[in-house]
Amino acid sequence: MIQVQHLHKSFNGQQVLEDINLQVKKGEILIVLGESGTGKSVLLKHLIGLLKPDQGSVLIEARDITRMSERELLGLRKDIGYLFQEGALYDFMNVFENIAFPLREHTAFDWKTIREKVQSILRLIGLEGIEEKYPAELSGGMKKRVALARAIILDSRILLCDEPTSGLDPLRSRDISALIRDVARKLHCTTVVTSHDIQNSLRIADRLALLQNGRIAAVGTPSEFEASNNVFVKEFIS
Amino acid sequence: MKALIDWGMGYVARSGSAVCFLGEITGHIVRGRIRWPEVLKQMYEQGIQSVMIIVLTSLASGAVLALQGYTAMVRFGAKEYIAHLVGLSLVRELGPVFTALIFSGKAGARIAAELGTMSVNDQVLATRTMGVDPVEFLVVPRMAACFLVLPVLTIIGEIAGITGGYLIATLEAGIPGTFYINQTIKAIQYVDFWGGFAKVFFFAVIIGWICCYQGYSTKGGSLGVGRFTTKAVAFSYIFVILSNAVLTKIILTLWG
Ligand SMILES: Nc1ncnc2c1ncn2[C@@H]1O[C@H](COP(=O)(O)OP(=O)(O)OP(=O)(O)O)[C@@H](O)[C@H]1O
Ligand SMILES: [Mg+2]
Repeated sequence: MIQVQHLHKSFNGQQVLEDINLQVKKGEILIVLGESGTGKSVLLKHLIGLLKPDQGSVLIEARDITRMSERELLGLRKDIGYLFQEGALYDFMNVFENIAFPLREHTAFDWKTIREKVQSILRLIGLEGIEEKYPAELSGGMKKRVALARAIILDSRILLCDEPTSGLDPLRSRDISALIRDVARKLHCTTVVTSHDIQNSLRIADRLALLQNGRIAAVGTPSEFEASNNVFVKEFIS
Repeated sequence: MKALIDWGMGYVARSGSAVCFLGEITGHIVRGRIRWPEVLKQMYEQGIQSVMIIVLTSLASGAVLALQGYTAMVRFGAKEYIAHLVGLSLVRELGPVFTALIFSGKAGARIAAELGTMSVNDQVLATRTMGVDPVEFLVVPRMAACFLVLPVLTIIGEIAGITGGYLIATLEAGIPGTFYINQTIKAIQYVDFWGGFAKVFFFAVIIGWICCYQGYSTKGGSLGVGRFTTKAVAFSYIFVILSNAVLTKIILTLWG
């Protein structure tokens, strides 16, 4: 379970997040919607301790990660899969090595098992046979999917994805959204996704949160969102 | 006035964080958290990248030393001492300093640019999200490789320099080859060699430290990578040359 309480964050006097309160139940998929530049990525980075809030706390399974040392956080992060908005693949490793990296670091699997796991996940994201390619040789959407594969390969208990479908064509977006939902359901993992992609968000989310000017403007299930009277919600999802 | 104080404070803060950074690296090394496969990979890259240019420049410097020495010494009828001049200047001073400077420009720039690109592309942050310490995974191997590669390159450079001197002495000055080699071996004493070579280890730490630190703290996209890399190389040059003066004084006082 993830709990965000009274979180405030500003950069050089620019208030980005203001009094954010959120709760994500175990196994739930929460999608954070919002316009570009409202602080979705900043919020997600707080959930894994890459940024420290000015005020407020972030609880993961009842432990306040804002008070943890970097060493404690490193231990905790083995249980969290994180997809960066820009992918952030290692450009000195090929696709295989990138996806295998978390396995090599944190599991004792032998080489053969690792290879099978990587191949099966590549099949899952529709990118078979690109093991030998380097990130510089991939398209933006391919990088994104490889990065997603790297984020989910450890079967973590928590999955955080920063815009997994931006830069993908509509069909791929649907497939990748469905993949995230399947992974989350199968492993019962607590998932937070940020997105602009309304259609797919409504399809896969358990709950949605709408971020506006650094505040949470609305939270609710997809059907609640569709029936909402809130002007901004209406405007955003129409 | 206030701007000056701010600038001073910023400077102190940056130096402080650079010292902490070195402390962190040392912490990993003394605890044995060294990834040897990564170190070997880095050694290979840094070594291969710099060895050719170091051989060429050292060869040329040795040759120039011999040429100049020959023209000067032949006036006193002391041309058989060319071997002394070349050998001693190379191992006591020129070999270590030249190699360190070239190494900063090649391997140091590479370290800073690689780490800088990884910082601005979130690869360093991604390492943290995967539960791996980026200093241990990305910085320590580069630092360790510097420390191991630079001494080897220095020896190679010194041998190349002496070869350059040898070529001039035999071809130009008409000194017999075996005589030149014997003279070189006689001239370079234990203290001469170690007095120069000891400095190399300091230079390796300085270059590795500065270039890793600048690369690791890079911000501001590709412009930032360019800026911090240039800074890394410039600082390495300055600190190698300044520390060389201090180290030389210390070594001469202790060892004569
Ligand atoms: N490290 C930082 N330093 C200073 N300002 C920052 C930093 N990170 C983010 N910001 C600011 O915070 C605001 C929110 O950024 P954020 O990246 O979270 O937006 P976003 O909602 O993810 O947008 P997008 O949908 O385009 O990805 C922006 O105005 C940005 O300028
Ligand atoms: Mg974003």
